[in-house]
Amino acid sequence: MIPRTLTRSRRGPRALITATALLAVGALTACSAGGPGGEAEEVTDSGKALEQVTVALPGSLANLYVGQESGVLNYYLASTVQEGLVGLDADGTLVPALAETWDTPDANTYVFTLRSDAVFHNGDPVTPEDVVFSLLQAKDATASPGLTWYLSNMKSVEKTGEHQVTVVTAEPDPAFIKNMTTAGATFVTQEKHWQEVDGAVGTADSLLLGSGPYAVTDFTPGESVTLERSDDWWGTPGKVESIRVEFIPDENTRLLAAQSGDIDIAFNVPLKQAQQWQESAGLRVDSVNDLSYVGLLFDQNVAPFDDLKVREAIAHSVDREAIVEKLLRGYGEAASTIMTPESITDQLDAEAARKLLASVPQLDFDLDAAKQALSESSVPEGFTAELAYPNTGPHLGTAAQSLAENLKQVGITLSVKEQPIETWLAGIGTGENGLGLMWYFSTTGDPAEVSSYLLAADNVNHVESEEMLGFFREANTAQTPEERLDLLMQAETLNAEQVINAPLWWGQSLTAFSDRVGIAEFSPYTFLGPWGAELFAAE
Amino acid sequence: MSQPLAAADPVSPGAPAPDAPPRPRRGSPVLRLLLARVLGVLVILFVISLLTFTLMYLAPGDLVKNLLGNRPASPEAIAAVRAQYRLDDPFLVRYFAWLGDALRGDFGVSIRMRQPVTQVIASRVGLTAALAGLAFLIALITAIPMGISSAARAGTVRDRLGSALALFGLSAPSFALAILLLYAFAMLIPIFPAYGAGTGFLDRVFHLVLPATVLAMGLGAILMRMTRAAMVRELSADYVTFARSRGVPERQVQRLALRNASIPIVTGAGLILTFLIGGTIIVETVFALPGIGLLLQEAVLFKDLPVVQAIVLLVALVIAIIAILVDLSYLLLDPRVRARELQS
Repeated sequence: MIPRTLTRSRRGPRALITATALLAVGALTACSAGGPGGEAEEVTDSGKALEQVTVALPGSLANLYVGQESGVLNYYLASTVQEGLVGLDADGTLVPALAETWDTPDANTYVFTLRSDAVFHNGDPVTPEDVVFSLLQAKDATASPGLTWYLSNMKSVEKTGEHQVTVVTAEPDPAFIKNMTTAGATFVTQEKHWQEVDGAVGTADSLLLGSGPYAVTDFTPGESVTLERSDDWWGTPGKVESIRVEFIPDENTRLLAAQSGDIDIAFNVPLKQAQQWQESAGLRVDSVNDLSYVGLLFDQNVAPFDDLKVREAIAHSVDREAIVEKLLRGYGEAASTIMTPESITDQLDAEAARKLLASVPQLDFDLDAAKQALSESSVPEGFTAELAYPNTGPHLGTAAQSLAENLKQVGITLSVKEQPIETWLAGIGTGENGLGLMWYFSTTGDPAEVSSYLLAADNVNHVESEEMLGFFREANTAQTPEERLDLLMQAETLNAEQVINAPLWWGQSLTAFSDRVGIAEFSPYTFLGPWGAELFAAE
Repeated sequence: MSQPLAAADPVSPGAPAPDAPPRPRRGSPVLRLLLARVLGVLVILFVISLLTFTLMYLAPGDLVKNLLGNRPASPEAIAAVRAQYRLDDPFLVRYFAWLGDALRGDFGVSIRMRQPVTQVIASRVGLTAALAGLAFLIALITAIPMGISSAARAGTVRDRLGSALALFGLSAPSFALAILLLYAFAMLIPIFPAYGAGTGFLDRVFHLVLPATVLAMGLGAILMRMTRAAMVRELSADYVTFARSRGVPERQVQRLALRNASIPIVTGAGLILTFLIGGTIIVETVFALPGIGLLLQEAVLFKDLPVVQAIVLLVALVIAIIAILVDLSYLLLDPRVRARELQS
């Protein structure tokens, strides 16, 4: 699976889906807030220690180094083993990690002061040299193909003091610092270890080495990973002694294993199984908005999608509300923009964020308007097209089928086909199909992460608009977050007016927990940080 | 017997064995036979390696995108990765580079796992071999007695029941059977584990019981039908009628018929063993067993060419060896074949 997948942003951060694993479904999960039916039960910490917790992954990992295999499941696993310079809390706000403090003397310079008590799992201290080395390897396309893009704006990284590292960017980018987290592109390992294994890190023979709350003690590709608590971690040690991560690709087997009591935490429960998991004794399912975006993309190099009227006809044929309510069973939210409300909640409350995003002009579900638009287009008699979706997102397939039904009434014949996620990925932006689905998991939650991928330079829609590029350029040099958001909203508005992408929904991910386990704070960022240390024995 | 030429067809020997076959001359004829087969296998392996390489080259998907992910990529990064894996070299240059290394025993490094291919395969082949071996054993010990018993009582209720069971095993999709067994024996009556390969010999066998049973059901069904058909044919042959008329006990008659039916049965068993290897992919996925089948599937999708090439060749080699062993077994089982092969 492996593979990887997904996503990214322009100068920012990242994304991903994964491939391999990922496959499966989605991505993060979290909080208790729940979707429909998903009111999370309150779970309290009994204060007791737990000997072992078993985590089921819906896919199989081939390599544990995120630079080599960068699926979202790889991110989850590495995030509790390795550390970044900084981290993200439940709201997506930066918090200390390996760096105790940081400073940005100018728009291009980041000075990190490292904590002196951080040690790798082999007992050696984490040095500024190791940080510099790790970042340089992450930027290298052959050493870390999965991370290189995020650091393309990093001009230099140097040790500038006994405990100090300075990173300089080529151009200003307010979202750049999120790359210094394990939600981004920073997974600090030891230079000595890397040299010893000649760069083949994260394999079964050279276990991933980090400085986080848990150390990898065994890795059998395709089967399992064993993590043991590190007593040398600088933070509050976890309550769980050992975490056993099992790869169980088949969703039915996973459910049966959980029902038999073999599993404590299951990532990415498939939406269509949500009810079965919830109704199983001893299990609860929590859902959280996972910073993912699903939308249609139109390749403007491919006729007839270069015709605005054709794009309007298709966008008018999408019934977003029905998709969310009936096909996603409420686990998601009709999207009015590419950026998610969660990506701007550091500036606005949830309601205000949704209101702002809804102010972008929308093409509502209206088949008469769709027919009208098609009749005014270059193909008034209709046409046939193909729409592919990845095998790891069956809910994308059902949404595509519902779109095909609507389009049939308009006069457009859409054939929907499933592809292995690797094949689907390879088809994005190639111009083979004019109509495509985008499925992107943002890990850093920056509001420009997805939109810059879909709209800015070298975008997969092949849209070249000086006006659009200008918005992103200016957003990168904006003086305040408000000014930056305003520019990104202008880009979203232009996207909507030109129907470059038609947003479908913002996704949720489901995570199942057994009754014996709880996690301190559940948010979209939980599993992109030291989550192992946040697990507890439930009462 | 009326059809002495039938001995030339090892799959359907219609005649009983002549009493005294000419004694084979030891050594060279068998060696010659083996040598010819081995040369044939080498040619086939070469063709298969070229074919697999070509198909992987033509198949959809993009290794670079799999490595870089669904994100923008700079032309420099793409160029660096393409250069790293020599993706810009002409097709034949890449193939012969691979072949040259392979002939020296170097099958390369897995792109996905960054471990030597031989090591990756070695760490997984045992599990798949155990799975296939156990499944084959289960199929053999259930299907052959059932086939014989059905044939001995052709047309009776027992025969019909056996045939119905075989039809079920043959037509039920293995993933559905797998889920059914999991539900029954891991959930309702929790005897067996739901997933995983276990550690240590006994634990592993225990973990493999359900997956091997799933695999064995489809294959056993084929084997049972083949055994039954071969036995029915033998039991209706003149020599059986003759033996019975002479008052030879039925058990002995059946043993005689079984010996003559053994060539089609062994051929069938050999074929089944080769099918088994392909069948492991689904079962390994459902039961989360990190074997060769799952590895091959992932490698194909990821375009991890060194791994795909090595596994395909390994599987082809195993199938070829099975075929040779089946052929050699004819020499043991049927004196007529022995006589003909060794004289030629």
